[in-house]
This record gives sequence, C-alpha cells and structure tokens, in this order.
Amino acid sequence: MHEYSLAVAIVDQVKEIVKEYNANSVKKITVSAGPYEMVIPELLYEAYDIIIDNLDKFKESKLELIMKTAEITCLNCDYKGEPSKEGDDEFAFNFKCPKCDSRDTHLNMQYLTIETVDLEILE
Amino acid sequence: MVKEKKIVVKKQAYIVNDEIADQIRSEMKEKNKLFFNVMGSIGAGKTLLLERIAEKLSTKYRVFVINGDVATTIDADRIAKQGATTVQINTGGGCHLTAKLIRIELDKIDINNYDIFFAENVGNLICPSSWDIGGQLNIVVVSITEGEYVVKKHPIIFKGADIAIINKCDLEGPDFDSKVLREDAVKIKSGMKVICTSAKTGLGVDELIKTLGIKFP
Repeated sequence: MHEYSLAVAIVDQVKEIVKEYNANSVKKITVSAGPYEMVIPELLYEAYDIIIDNLDKFKESKLELIMKTAEITCLNCDYKGEPSKEGDDEFAFNFKCPKCDSRDTHLNMQYLTIETVDLEILE
Repeated sequence: MVKEKKIVVKKQAYIVNDEIADQIRSEMKEKNKLFFNVMGSIGAGKTLLLERIAEKLSTKYRVFVINGDVATTIDADRIAKQGATTVQINTGGGCHLTAKLIRIELDKIDINNYDIFFAENVGNLICPSSWDIGGQLNIVVVSITEGEYVVKKHPIIFKGADIAIINKCDLEGPDFDSKVLREDAVKIKSGMKVICTSAKTGLGVDELIKTLGIKFP
C-alpha cells in the first residue's frame, strides 16, 4: 500500500507550506496523478485521514485527487501527447503512437503532484 | 481576522524522494561506486542471487547490501555469511524502499569503505517501480515458477528496468518455460538486457556480474 507513503509525502510538504505562510489551518489539498501511477483514490483518502487524525492544523482538511489523461513520448517520431485509443491486446500500457503507429513508446509518468493548498490564515 | 488563501504549489509528492535519489546517484558516481536496485516478487530468488553475487565479489571487492523487508533480519543475515557487509531495513508494513531510507543507512557508514552497493527491495512487483532509490541500474528478478505471464501482468516495473533476470532456469523443462518471459521482457522495453540465471546452481551469475559492469575475476 504505497498510498500511505504518498499521503505521508503530501502531508510533509504541506506542513512546510503551513509553516511558510504561518497558516492557522489547512482547508483543502488538491493533488493530481496520471492514470498509470497505481494510485487507488480510496486508499489514498483513507491513508490521508489516518495520518492527519492527530495533526491539529490538518484535522478539518480534505484531500482531492484529480486523475489526468495518459501521456506518451514516441521513441520513433518524438510525438509527445495522448496515446492512440487503440489498445494492445498483448501488453497493457504498451501504447501506440497516434502519429506514426509505432508501439516503441515511453509512458511519461505523471507522478502525484500537489496542485494547490487552501489555507486559513490569521491576519 | 481569518482569511482563506489558495496556494498554487505544482510540486510532485515524490520530489523530496527524487532529490535524495539524485543526490545518492551523484555521490556514488563521484566516488566511483556502483549501486544497484534489485527488485522482484517474493520468492523470485533475489536473496539467493545476492548471496551468490556476494560470495563471488567479496573475494575482490568490498560489497555492501541493504535489505528491505517488512520484518526480520533473515535476508541480511544470509548475505552477510557470504562476505558482504549488510544492513536490514524493516519497513514495518511499507511495501517498498525509499531514497530517504537508503540515505539514512548510507549516512551510518563511510561510503569510501565499500566498492559495490546493492539494495534488495521489498518483495513486490508494484510499488518499488514508483520509487527511485538512487540506483544506477534497476534490476527486476522474476522466476519461471511464477508463471509465464508475469511480465504481461506487471508491465510498469519492466518498463522502468534496465536488466530483467529470469531466475530458477535450472527448472527449465516441460513444466516451466522461460521463453515467453524472455520474449515479453524485450517486447515491453526495447533494449532490455535479459539474463537467465539459477541462483541455486550459479547459472548465469557470471554473465550478470559482467552485465553490471563489474570486472571479475
């Protein structure tokens, strides 16, 4: 369950942001990930809730995960973008280039990214 | 007065891990050391393979092995008997090693006292593929007893690997066949180096050592 490690990584980074802005509390964290990052949203949410349970400044916060579309780089023609919709019967994630039809493609990992953090700040 | 503020971050959650991994890789290169990340499922034969490698290399090199497991020091103890210095990381439920865990162990030793480093990742073909631990090469070990569809079922870890080891090839015969695994590993990643080994008999271990760029004997 690497979602727990991911949730820890998210909270660790946001803790630094909370310090930087001297925030009173965190309201919402929006994160995004590609479709092949092996992130199961429910497990990520569960792990997040466990981690923030004893963190006063995070207690009222919500985590939101936005799933992105896949992106490939074609090693044959250098195309970069969404893969062809046509799948591969033999290999999952072995995407086809929509430009030159090559399957010699690299799946660009769109690692879990912290997009925005909504903070409550005392001024 | 209380105000709400939206902060645009746009930072990868893995960024701290990846920075540490890059730093480990740079340090190893700068100090002329080799560091390999050995991944594979439970029971693929990673530990026995590392025992064979340690047994051979320890006659010429100072080998340091970091073992990752949820619990126990069984693997580290086994490899230590073959002449390597070992340390066991117990992840306590975590399903993979991270660059930070590796850094903590490297900080406890003087890297200059060793020549070659291996990390045996937690037995798992899923999570370790997402976490860069700073190795110069990623090695995936599968065994023919796991079935011929292992590569097809776990394409991401093979996409990210440099070397695929098909282990337990001494069992090659009517019941177990390495052909599909070997072919799939190359199909899933062009240029993949595939080596058939038997950690039990020593088959292919010399070829693996050579492929890792280690001069031996």
